Amino acid sequence: MARDGSAVGVLVASDRAVVPPTPTFGQPAGLQRWLARYWLDIVLVTPLFLYVFFFMLVPVVQSIYLSFTLEGAGQPTFDNYRTVINRSQFRDAFVNTLGISIIGVTMEMTVGIIIALMLARAFRGRGLFRSIVLVPLGVPTIVAGAAMLYFIGFNGYLNEILLDLGIIDVPIYWQQSGLRGMFAIALADLWKTTPLVVLILLAGLESIPGDVYEAASVDGADGWRRFWDHTIPLLMPSITMALILRVIDAFRIFDIALVLAGQAIPVMSSFVYFDYQAGSINTAAAAAVILLLMILVFVVAYLLLVARRTEDVR
Amino acid sequence: MSATVARIPDNRQPTIPDAAPERRPPWGDVGFWVLAILFATILLLPLYVLFKVSVSTLAEATAPRPSYLPREITWANWGRLLNWDIIGDPLRHSLIVAFSTAIVAVLIAAPAAYVISRLPRGTRYFIVLGLLLTRMFPEVIIATPIAANFFSWGLNDTNVGLALAHLIRALPLVTWVLVGTFEVIPRDLEEASAVDGSGRVGTLLRVVLPLAAPGIAVAAIFAWLDSWNDLLYAIYLFLTERTLPLITYYYANRGTVTDVATFSIILTIPVLLLTLFLQRWIRSGYLSGAVKG
Repeated sequence: MARDGSAVGVLVASDRAVVPPTPTFGQPAGLQRWLARYWLDIVLVTPLFLYVFFFMLVPVVQSIYLSFTLEGAGQPTFDNYRTVINRSQFRDAFVNTLGISIIGVTMEMTVGIIIALMLARAFRGRGLFRSIVLVPLGVPTIVAGAAMLYFIGFNGYLNEILLDLGIIDVPIYWQQSGLRGMFAIALADLWKTTPLVVLILLAGLESIPGDVYEAASVDGADGWRRFWDHTIPLLMPSITMALILRVIDAFRIFDIALVLAGQAIPVMSSFVYFDYQAGSINTAAAAAVILLLMILVFVVAYLLLVARRTEDVR
Repeated sequence: MSATVARIPDNRQPTIPDAAPERRPPWGDVGFWVLAILFATILLLPLYVLFKVSVSTLAEATAPRPSYLPREITWANWGRLLNWDIIGDPLRHSLIVAFSTAIVAVLIAAPAAYVISRLPRGTRYFIVLGLLLTRMFPEVIIATPIAANFFSWGLNDTNVGLALAHLIRALPLVTWVLVGTFEVIPRDLEEASAVDGSGRVGTLLRVVLPLAAPGIAVAAIFAWLDSWNDLLYAIYLFLTERTLPLITYYYANRGTVTDVATFSIILTIPVLLLTLFLQRWIRSGYLSGAVKG
């Protein structure tokens, strides 16, 4: 008996990570003391955790369950996945989502780093420039998509600007599947999300000691080397965060693709929605699960690669 | 040099020649300004075009070669669409849902964020990271069963249903911002209040809450904006009713280009004003805190 008691005591004392000490079973007095001490904290956090559980975790599990069953339930089956993968619309959605993410995030990170470096510098009109950079943040995503309609349309401003600059002679039809469509959607996404990338990278730059000087003195070969050897490695945590957030959101792209191209250029999320709307909730769930897997594979792969590279450096 | 400084009180005068060689940007000063003006133009262009189309005649807006400046300004589109029969119901839905989402999000998230902010560093980081990771779930994977459930519960086309759905996105965001807010409120203040004989609830309401009020307001506005902008849950849950983003979407599908532009601007105005008002708070602080853990 005594040994049991001391073992529990040691366990509780050594387990510092768990803060409200775990109630030990068979000790009602301990449980009561624990409740008496922490009842308010428990009452305060319970609604949030219940909500997250019932409205986020349960639906995800429900989707996974739906994806493995046919209408009217029954045996678990891969039929939904087979059906979905054999549809050309789904393969288009898969390719488009990857393409838009790669094109979009590459442009976003490049533009984001340039603007962040500019904002890290002290110059007259910096406040105004910062406000202008934040403007797309204050525009609903669907409006960003709608605005892009006037640019990528056959009679749109993108063609008009390219014609005026003499880059093209004949207007281009942007709203078609394939690379052009992906580029058009990525462009709208770039416009909408640049502020977020800039804010994250700027926060990183500002936490680098002497960064204003650093950003300002990037000139000449020496400056560029310092930028690559010094600024970029120090900025790596911010770059990682911006990149992961952006790729996750690019994989989930919905509003912009729906407004700009609808069914003509399907992406994963809009494919799920159209399938759900057409009444086949099980295949919609299967496509949604595939999208979740895409995101998980990216995040895990990226973290493993970056973690491994960091270890190599050490 | 020092004599010049002594004689001219404006201290900017002598520092300009000194500092200039040190502060050369990557592409020289001219390049810097060209780039800044180029970026500023590109960032503002879409809004300008939307506004321009919204005050154009349909004939002008659909002309083969679009013009950069309006040839003829008309407010007819605005006059036609700012009609209570068209915009009244969607506006009412959008406003009710956005305010309910913001208020309920704060009511649920603020108490929890307070408790989380008082946990030891490791646990706190773990929980906040967990909340952020919920962002990895594609929204459609949640929306699909949620829509199916809400239909069977009769919550489709209701403000309650949509607000419940919007909380899914708002709660992690609001909790994240509020943990940061509560973290910086010193515990000494609470202990002092406890010594004065206030109970824990009294301390929370009288000491902690007033100090956290600005952060709570900012978090509430974030939740409001997120709900106001939402298309995904609205398109899943609203079949006969409309919110403002939904009618913008339907007009983009079937309406005229001038109507789409006008609705877009109507939808944007409150968001843009709130965001520019908030920009003091949307600074690096929240984000850098998250990056550094």
